[in-house]
Amino acid sequence: MITLDQTAREAGGRIVAALATAFRDLDLAEEAYAEACARAAAVWPAAPPLDPAAWLYATARRCVLDMIRKRKVRSRLTPDTPEPQASAEEIMASDARLIPDERLRLIFVCCHPAVAPEARAALTLRLVCGLTVQEIARAFLVAEPAMFQRLTRAKKKIAQAGVSFEVPGPQAWPERLAAVFSTLEVAYARAHEDAAGAGQHAGYAREMLGLTAVLAELLPDEPECLAFAATVRFAEARRPARLDAHGAMIPLSEQDPALWNRSLIHEADALLRRAARLNRPGPRQLRAALHGVWCVRRSLAEPPPWSAVLALYDLAERDDPFVRINRAVALAQVAGPAVALVEIEALDADRLADFQPFHAVRADLLARLGRRDEALAVYQRAIDLAPGPAERLWLVRRRNEVT
Amino acid sequence: MQYALLIYENEDLYRTDAGRSMDEIITAHRALAGELAQQGILLGGQGLKTADTATTVRKSDGQHALHDGPYAEAREQLGGFYLIEVSDLDAALAIAKRIPLAGDGAVEVRPMIEEG
Repeated sequence: MITLDQTAREAGGRIVAALATAFRDLDLAEEAYAEACARAAAVWPAAPPLDPAAWLYATARRCVLDMIRKRKVRSRLTPDTPEPQASAEEIMASDARLIPDERLRLIFVCCHPAVAPEARAALTLRLVCGLTVQEIARAFLVAEPAMFQRLTRAKKKIAQAGVSFEVPGPQAWPERLAAVFSTLEVAYARAHEDAAGAGQHAGYAREMLGLTAVLAELLPDEPECLAFAATVRFAEARRPARLDAHGAMIPLSEQDPALWNRSLIHEADALLRRAARLNRPGPRQLRAALHGVWCVRRSLAEPPPWSAVLALYDLAERDDPFVRINRAVALAQVAGPAVALVEIEALDADRLADFQPFHAVRADLLARLGRRDEALAVYQRAIDLAPGPAERLWLVRRRNEVT
Repeated sequence: MQYALLIYENEDLYRTDAGRSMDEIITAHRALAGELAQQGILLGGQGLKTADTATTVRKSDGQHALHDGPYAEAREQLGGFYLIEVSDLDAALAIAKRIPLAGDGAVEVRPMIEEG
């Protein structure tokens, strides 16, 4: 039997999106869906529905109508004639395929530039991916009441400021898409930086596969959208190889490609090829390509693609410190650690004082150049800033190897 | 939806020749207001005299106190407003972007409480 959990995971976003856009009310959609789930939990064990998603949708719709009626009663004290209750046959005859797919509209609502940037991803994860407030709070390292308030404020803003529930017109497309992607990228970066995948951040890494698949399906002619979906797949494909038996992080060049998820890599390759065919290059396609050249590797016996990585970084945005740090890693392999250290030392160290990758890379280069004391001190700084135990273990090991 | 578009600018731009000339801006406002009125979007609006002409009445503990000057001393001051009725926030934001400014400035888009 299909469980409520499974139905909620597979169809929840679609149901909430359909309700939210039909009634133009996020709170109403959320409450009605929660009520429908509660009823399902009570009713399904004794009478499992033929089509669980359709059952949830039909029930949630009726809950919305009930709630609207109650609001009217409260505000005007003169109830409308009640809506006819859907008969059992009607619910039986309904079909999950009839739930309109309004997730894109809902994503655009949640990621509207008028919504505070720090609330956009959280709201998207809540409404489109169905994560609980508790899960989102954990993922963003925010206390649950603070996250609850952030979501409430964002929903209020959307309702009161008249944020449109329509997909914006083509002239607004670049600005609006940029807001959507930057929102989702930040969210995914947080989920991905936790190599263990079991920690606080990783709660929604898997959800991002689903969300980007939806976006790629809904926006098949947006190359940057396809590229972002590809990046998430490449990165998730490597998850099984990111930790060693002791739980320490394994850097990309030392991961065993045999452990990588080939079917995800194939999906990513196909997406990236589709993006290339649209012939409109962009930064996200470049980023996806960087992941792609790594994922070509089939075994540790094959040399790592450092030259290709370096060439791609040469095309990337040079004022992004993260790009320059990663480029220096490749440069060290191609041209030696001294040249790479010059690059790293040219960065604004004050700005990057709390940026762990900066210290980790610098420590490694110093160690390779035999500058032992400096390397030890910088490794310590990186260890203090490590985002999780996997990174910490790896850095401690590297530090202990400094001779 | 009804919105107030509140225009905040550094008034010095109008006192000196640093920005576009006052006449030029007024002409641009008239053109925009005319267009919005023709489309049935414009509910009202007005330019305001400079903030140094303002008097603020503040009520505190039941007492009224007057002070010479605007509500908040800031580099940018409320210089005028449009009241419009459009379908949604995006439409209001699009009009806000078209409001003529002498130089740098800001337009706050604020939904109005509607009757009924």
